[in-house]
Amino acid sequence: MFVGVVGLLRLPDVYTRMHAMGKCDTLGAGMILIALMLLIADITNITKLVLIGIMIATINPIITHLIAKTAYNRGTPMAEGSFLINDYVAAQRRRRRSTLETGKTKKGDQGSS
Amino acid sequence: MITTVLYSIVVGLIIISLIAIARAYGGPSVLDRIVAMNVITTNVVMIILIFAYIDRSFYYIDVAFVFVLGTFIGTLCIIKLLREGHII
Repeated sequence: MFVGVVGLLRLPDVYTRMHAMGKCDTLGAGMILIALMLLIADITNITKLVLIGIMIATINPIITHLIAKTAYNRGTPMAEGSFLINDYVAAQRRRRRSTLETGKTKKGDQGSS
Repeated sequence: MITTVLYSIVVGLIIISLIAIARAYGGPSVLDRIVAMNVITTNVVMIILIFAYIDRSFYYIDVAFVFVLGTFIGTLCIIKLLREGHII
């Protein structure tokens, strides 16, 4: 968890900060929960701790995914020198623009003829 | 012995939360602050559980569970407000 927070403080971008925190925080919380399960030798409280561990292990990736998608849709600027391999939204916009241009040329041809 | 170790873990979690508060104070965008808030709430849940073992009062485990659920709903509402402009 300390490594994750150092990454949160030092890294230059929203996406890299999420990359640092989304994994380290979940793993550190799970480790502390396992240690408390070994300390508390009672079956009801161990069941509650297992439930809390399951909730954290599902909620934390969901929140990280939603933050990443929101940042991508809002167009948050990335760090200097980084690039996207498979840019889905940009490819979609390019395809829509090309279809609009072909439709305009077809209409223009019909109007001229 | 084990109590000393647990208190040192609590101090480390508080230091981590202070570093995350520094990021939340000077973050360039809103999403950095959401990430830092997520980290702080996870640390608070861990501190509640450790104090539940130290004091031998295990009802605080239920308090931590409710805290996890409330934090999830709060962060979800903030993200929905950012994405769509309204909550309900």
